[in-house]
Amino acid sequence: MDRVWTALRYAAIALALVFFLFPAYWIAITAFKVSAEWFTWPPIVFPTRLTLGNFLGTEGGFSGSLATAIGGIVPYLRNSAVVALGTAASSTLLGSLAAYALSRFKVGGMSLASWIISVRMLPPIAAALPVYAIFLKLQLLNTVWAVMMAHLIFTAPFATWILLSFFNEIPRELDEAAWVDGASPWTVFLRVVLPLSAPGLAAVASLSFIQSWGEFLMALVLTSSSDAQTLPLFLGRYITGWRIAWGPLAGAGLVTMVPVVAFSLVMQRYLIRGLTFGAVKY
Amino acid sequence: MAGKPPASAIGLGRGSGQPTPLPEARRPGVTTTLARRQSRTAWLMVAPLVLYLAALTLYPFGYMLVMSLFRYDLASWEPPSFLGLGNYQAAFADRTAAVSWRFTAVLAAAAVSIELLLGFLLAVLILDARGERWIRSALLVPMAVPPVVAGVAWKMLFNYQYGPVNWVLSLFGVSRVSWLGDPFWAGVGIIVADVWQWTPFVFLVLYAGLQSVPDELIEAARVDGASTGQLLWQVRLPLLRPLLWVVLILRLIDVVKLFDIIYMVTFGGPGSATHSISYYIYKVGLSYGWDVGYASALSLLLLAVVSLLVNLLIRGLRLRELLGF
Repeated sequence: MDRVWTALRYAAIALALVFFLFPAYWIAITAFKVSAEWFTWPPIVFPTRLTLGNFLGTEGGFSGSLATAIGGIVPYLRNSAVVALGTAASSTLLGSLAAYALSRFKVGGMSLASWIISVRMLPPIAAALPVYAIFLKLQLLNTVWAVMMAHLIFTAPFATWILLSFFNEIPRELDEAAWVDGASPWTVFLRVVLPLSAPGLAAVASLSFIQSWGEFLMALVLTSSSDAQTLPLFLGRYITGWRIAWGPLAGAGLVTMVPVVAFSLVMQRYLIRGLTFGAVKY
Repeated sequence: MAGKPPASAIGLGRGSGQPTPLPEARRPGVTTTLARRQSRTAWLMVAPLVLYLAALTLYPFGYMLVMSLFRYDLASWEPPSFLGLGNYQAAFADRTAAVSWRFTAVLAAAAVSIELLLGFLLAVLILDARGERWIRSALLVPMAVPPVVAGVAWKMLFNYQYGPVNWVLSLFGVSRVSWLGDPFWAGVGIIVADVWQWTPFVFLVLYAGLQSVPDELIEAARVDGASTGQLLWQVRLPLLRPLLWVVLILRLIDVVKLFDIIYMVTFGGPGSATHSISYYIYKVGLSYGWDVGYASALSLLLLAVVSLLVNLLIRGLRLRELLGF
């Protein structure tokens, strides 16, 4: 009886893994399929003929399609990298400063802390219109700055939230000892607390990076050309009203997906702490 | 992640709740100047973030509040004119808005309950299973995939003629389903995509919660002769309840924001069957129409709903304890 249960259990786990991995797998193999195999019935789940054509443009497309390769992706890749790295760095900076002040000095009390956290929960669409108006006035529309600043609205409060839990775990006696020795709060923050919370900073920077890399709505609203558009927006071009260029679309999807997936697998130890919010010991 | 992402949970079983007095409370007189200096520094530290957020959230809030009272449509070339609560009246009479709210509610009810159930089931199944580290890593993948790419993937999978989903169904003798062409099935498709992306999050949080149940408690229950089932329902589940609550609210907050997946998979269609409220606001205010006044009114209604949820969340998080206030 026990053996039956164990078998059932592992069968269920295997089924779950297939479900949760298959869409990513489908993007990956479609990106390397020859154009004749994009549309087949039954669909080819284990392709034997692989090609780089969807990336290089040598595969050709199908009649009536303009998009045959991901040749134009480079500026978008650059924009995404600039925006996501910038967002990650600035939200870690702003977040760690604010979290330290909240953790140690209870600045502004509960209301300030919960206000900051609630900004993270704001629906992006509810801010999009006025934020568009602000950047229009500042003449920053269609620049990477606008996208970065918009992403920061959501990543910085999140960073603050997570770092609070990390800072709270560092014994306050350390700070107090340093104060007694005459160190200023800045020195304590930079020399004592930050080094000790390196894993927290790593988690926060990675999570901000991932969020910014994948963000779509704000980037959609604030940009209009390859000067500032990010990778998620690039994908839209392969979907026309009447047909979808599956191969190149999957290729572009793969390029958009691989950095963050690889990154999150490498950083998983820290990410899980951040995601579960250090809530529970992990 | 997505969203998102993705967000996060709470202060269960952590020792962060103790209030720690500032030094001056302990050594009155000696460090008063230090305390004053510290408080100034503290404000200086929190200022950049607070000013930034105030500029980019409070101003928009005021802007929308004002605009929502005006007839202001950029597409009509008319200057804004005061309308009072007309936009709100229109919002309650608007059929498409009603459809969008309803779809958002259905999505929230269906997707979130499936995610909680499935996430819990997975957590229980995988707890102490062989290779759990690998399984956990694999389950991290959907959360890391940018929602737009997830949308692309599901758009391909749900393709009527060549999609793998219909192919798998055909193996069981089910004839082709028009996933993205039929209002009902398109809704199901969006739910499936959301479940795919966010069940792993629910799983991770609950799994972490299950692991943090003290071993002594499990041992004690075992000694008392509890079966595995009893252990689960009477020891583990009750301890998980606060965590379940927090995950539930976090997911609800995220669902009302759902946009990218819909944009990619169904584009809100067929008709307006899969308009989430966020998608509808985008359409009214920023793409098909430029009705700033009406979009602002809808946004404020959405904000009211989200604020309610956020308040529940902050209470559920026991934020006061978490922050040590």
